[in-house]
Amino acid sequence: MNHRPTARAGSVEIIKVERLSKQYGSGANSLRALSDISLSVSEGQFVTVVGPSGCGKSTLLLILAGLVSPSSGDVWIDGAAVTGPLPEKISVMFQEAWLLPWKTAVENVEFPLMLRGAPFAIRRPRALSLLQLVGLEGFANRYPGELSGGMKQRVAIARSLVQEPRVLLMDEPFAALDEQTRTRMGNELLQVWEKFGRTVVFVTHGLTEAIYLADFVFVMSARPGRILERFHVELPRPRTIEMIGNEAFGRLRNRIWHLIGGA
Amino acid sequence: MIVRIRRLLVRLTLFLAFVGCWEAAYRAGLLNPIIFAAPSVIVKAAVKDGWTFLAAFRVTVLEITMAILMAWCFGIIFGVIAGSLPILARISAPMLSAVIALPLVVIYPVLLVWFGLGVTSKIVFGTISGVFPIALNTLTGVQSIDHGFATMARAMGANRRQIMFRVMAPLALPAIIAGLRLGTALIVIGVVLSEMLASTDGIGFWISYHRSLFNTGQVYLGIILALSITILVNMILSFVERMHFRGGDERFVR
Repeated sequence: MNHRPTARAGSVEIIKVERLSKQYGSGANSLRALSDISLSVSEGQFVTVVGPSGCGKSTLLLILAGLVSPSSGDVWIDGAAVTGPLPEKISVMFQEAWLLPWKTAVENVEFPLMLRGAPFAIRRPRALSLLQLVGLEGFANRYPGELSGGMKQRVAIARSLVQEPRVLLMDEPFAALDEQTRTRMGNELLQVWEKFGRTVVFVTHGLTEAIYLADFVFVMSARPGRILERFHVELPRPRTIEMIGNEAFGRLRNRIWHLIGGA
Repeated sequence: MIVRIRRLLVRLTLFLAFVGCWEAAYRAGLLNPIIFAAPSVIVKAAVKDGWTFLAAFRVTVLEITMAILMAWCFGIIFGVIAGSLPILARISAPMLSAVIALPLVVIYPVLLVWFGLGVTSKIVFGTISGVFPIALNTLTGVQSIDHGFATMARAMGANRRQIMFRVMAPLALPAIIAGLRLGTALIVIGVVLSEMLASTDGIGFWISYHRSLFNTGQVYLGIILALSITILVNMILSFVERMHFRGGDERFVR
């Protein structure tokens, strides 16, 4: 089962952020959201970003996605400077699935390919196999209104993979779900990730979730957001629920907790 | 099915009873024939001037159809574009509301000078009567859509036009259809009204003409034809609505 790309060893840098700052407005009313952020992520890694609410972690993700432009600094993803959306390299997921209500699950998954003008014979099988991957093969022809919150986010996961991006950016994708569903979705996401070996950047405010999923946890400070520290999570893969109770996990969680609290 | 047939029969019986009473009251001398034309008088008028009215019906239907096509197209396209561009929306929304409150008949004399007495001035007046509510409803409909949809579409690689017409416009469809209902009713009113004010043909023209001659039967015949146009248009609108909601409302629950 462990056929992740060798790049997972951590050699190839796929995301590189240099001296990134973001300021909203100007003059006395200006708001500094991000301050001098530099980080790098290696290909195939699962990294999470945590920080106090309002620390700009969502803004950071939107900048990585090319949906918001930084005030200064640069972002490179897979060797390309990010100045706008790069749908073939980067896909994004939000707290809401934003599925189009008049399209069925499978039509929603293939929608990005349709925008690109891909023929039915190519996009439909790919969309169906991705729905199968997220366990929704029986719901391909259901409308979003007929799906539960967790199912909608699974459709969104399938849709985010349909263009075979190199990087998945996720902004609290499971925050609106109940605790049990959130844990289950986290495990399913890890399975999908093990299978595809894509790089994932996952923003969350749940410390347990952040540690449980990640290879590395980036901890941000309160506004203006800075990267305070990067923690390596040395728990073995595949992760299991029992690990959350063990001592190493608890220690790491405490350290991050105090770091955020004292910042 | 049987319920529907029975309901239809009940309605038909009621209608026939109403017509019968009307005719009886006329025969008994209870109704002034200049104010109330009895059914038999209307039938007589139809036999005498039926062809003229059918030709007029065609003209009016053509004018209304053209006005509907133009008002729907311009209204929806403008509304979608203005709704997705905040600056344009802020400028045009108050202007549209103001124009809707205006009694548009006041510009009809100007249109007559520009386009003459023929069908063109009716089509233009009908379009103007209907286009503003359609545009305003579409605009506010598009504006009220959560920005998340547009952000998601942008991240998926949609360009501006795709975001507007493949994401925002379908999402705003309930509001757009509400606007179409309002606007289309105003188009029918506008076209018939403009025919009555100054024209050479059309249902409105012949109603106005026969009224001045006290031919009450012909006036009523015209009224019935105008009513049938409204019913026709309403049927088309209901069809559009049903096409849109064919999966039931529940799929619009996010």
